[in-house]
Amino acid sequence: MLLAFGNFTADPSVNLQLLIGGLALGAIYAVVALGFVLVYKSTDVLNLAHGEFLMLGAYFALTFLISENLNFFLGVFVLLLVMLAFGLLVHYGIMRRMVGQGFFAIVLITLGIATIIRALLLIFYGPTERARLDLLPQGSFEIGGATVRYVDIIIFGVVAACVLLFFVFFKYTRLGLHMRAVADDIEAAAAMGIDPDKVYAMTWAAAMVMAGVGGLLFGHVTGAIDRSIEAIGLRAFPAAVVGGLTSLGGSIVGGLVVGVIEQFANGHLGTKWREPVAFSVMFVVLLVRPTGLWGRKDLERV
Amino acid sequence: MTAVENPAPRQEEAQTYRPSTLQRFLPFIIAAAVPFILGSTTGDLNFWWKASITVVVLAVVARLAWKWTPRGELTHREDMRLWRTPSDRSWAALTMFGLLVLPFILASDFTPPMGFPWATWFAVVNLVLIFAMGAAAFNLLVGYSGQISLAHVAFLALGSIVGGIVGVQWSGGNMWYALPAAAVAGAVVGAISGLPALRLKHLYLLLATFGFHFVMMLVWREYLQEYFGFVGIRFKGENSPRIASWLHWLPGIDPDQNGEFVITGQFRWYWVLMPITVLSILFMVNVVRTREGRAFAAVRDRDVSASLLGINVARSKLFAFALSSAIVSMSGVLASFYIGSRGEDSFNVQTVLNYAIIIVVGGFSSIQGAIFGSAFFWFLPEWFKWAREELWFVRDIDFLSDYPSEIDLAIKGFLVVVILMFKPDGLAGLWRDFKSWFSRALARSNP
Repeated sequence: MLLAFGNFTADPSVNLQLLIGGLALGAIYAVVALGFVLVYKSTDVLNLAHGEFLMLGAYFALTFLISENLNFFLGVFVLLLVMLAFGLLVHYGIMRRMVGQGFFAIVLITLGIATIIRALLLIFYGPTERARLDLLPQGSFEIGGATVRYVDIIIFGVVAACVLLFFVFFKYTRLGLHMRAVADDIEAAAAMGIDPDKVYAMTWAAAMVMAGVGGLLFGHVTGAIDRSIEAIGLRAFPAAVVGGLTSLGGSIVGGLVVGVIEQFANGHLGTKWREPVAFSVMFVVLLVRPTGLWGRKDLERV
Repeated sequence: MTAVENPAPRQEEAQTYRPSTLQRFLPFIIAAAVPFILGSTTGDLNFWWKASITVVVLAVVARLAWKWTPRGELTHREDMRLWRTPSDRSWAALTMFGLLVLPFILASDFTPPMGFPWATWFAVVNLVLIFAMGAAAFNLLVGYSGQISLAHVAFLALGSIVGGIVGVQWSGGNMWYALPAAAVAGAVVGAISGLPALRLKHLYLLLATFGFHFVMMLVWREYLQEYFGFVGIRFKGENSPRIASWLHWLPGIDPDQNGEFVITGQFRWYWVLMPITVLSILFMVNVVRTREGRAFAAVRDRDVSASLLGINVARSKLFAFALSSAIVSMSGVLASFYIGSRGEDSFNVQTVLNYAIIIVVGGFSSIQGAIFGSAFFWFLPEWFKWAREELWFVRDIDFLSDYPSEIDLAIKGFLVVVILMFKPDGLAGLWRDFKSWFSRALARSNP
């Protein structure tokens, strides 16, 4: 039979394990989705290169924390600083010239950036896969017959902290206000004396730093660090869309929802169903409510 | 009562044509090509045959270009012609001439100077033909009708599935049934995959079609594992397409020892791929000129205004999806049978990227650009390989020869970024610029 369904199990401990695995996966999706949302919210750019940014972050984490063997906090600081510099480079080198271009041209240019990053990483790090990072505590404990890794809890905490941080930043700081103003109406914001160029640069830097954090965290839970980890960028799309592409809090909820659904599809139907199910959920959400659960609605004038 | 001031009626500027630049030089270009072609085939029995073809084509081109030169004003009918100006007609004739002569040149054992790769070019040319067809269809959908889609690789996979069912399982390597079947299946599935376009736009449409890509990948993997296992579908060997025996009287068809005419080898494949690609591209160019094609552009620019003009927007969008998907599916069948085997990872996300690179480098929303782009995409690695092996100032750089494919990829990505930043019309735009620069320079030199 073409579409053979796996056997559904009613064993609660299996389902609990799947739920916990799904939440852990969802936390990772939330990190990635947060990067999408940051860029899309203020620059209206769909950044298809975010998976590659994350891969860059993971490889830099390898360099700074494993090869150079820096102190953990110093290494993370250097990593985030380098990623920030890369974000500024992406903005001032490339994206700055693309403001006002067609939507698809900008999507394609992010694909071009993705291709460059992929090629450069292959050149400088080679195709061999590296062992995953082991800097965060590796142990686990049991709840009701299901295993919970400490790493997952840390990831969860970091994501929640990041969302909270960005929320406070957007709501209570001057630069956050500027970012929201530019996202709302770039011309009106420019007329009020806000420099959109600076705001965009800050946005790309922030997204890159989020990619650095994401790479560091994902490097701890992926099987091995190699060129295939960029796929997390595409797999996190449903999470970003379900939560709403303009909503910070939405990315965390969307990530968890999609992660759990994917994990259950994985456990009960088989690995190959993971992506189709996630993208079908995204598809349904797009048809019913295109802006996602908490996205901003845009009015269209004729 | 004051006299109403009537503005003077605007005088329509009469459009007249001088013979175009290319038209003046075309005989010389072809004449220059003749010794090259003949020189490359000396000793060949076909020498006089090719020589006479050259002369006849030369005469026909010159005659037609002269006959079709419009003199005086253009009527509407003349204005809407496929090849409007003498220059267009000359280029079309030159391209046709080139396409007819090319396989003979490539099949000859001509050796260009400096070890320029020649033997490998035939395979590259055939791949360019297949990819140009798919990329042009993709451009028709994304560029002309503005429906952003990333699902084209899904339709390549659909072509392979139909090729596997109809061409391999049902009729043992009969590509001729698989092609129309893939066109029908592609049109139906394409219209279904276009349904979200009725409700979604831009970004959301892109994501929805990308979701369709993953669903199609699931179908592809299921189909593969159900009937073919992990090795993938084998389209070559006993499954190669062949010409039926009742067609063996056709000129140029010389059956092999066992009385069969199997389409294998680059030369035979060229004569299958070239006509199909040329016809389908001409078909798309013509669709763009019809009412449906103009409706595509109207819907792309503003769908609400298009509906006010009396265009059925839903129908137009679905038609664009169906048409594009049908042609992409056909190119999927051709690619499967040409490449010979399709496996689990034949359709990955990198393939989606490759098509994006092709249409960006060639020139966004231009069918001509799709051809340029796919030629560039396939020739770049060849040129780069040649440069690494032969060019004296590149040969000694170890870095380049250590990472050939990675640097290929980097160059492609870099080109996409640079072209989108500085020259959004791509190679097709560069080509237009060059033509206008050349004719202006010529007009300056002899007014």
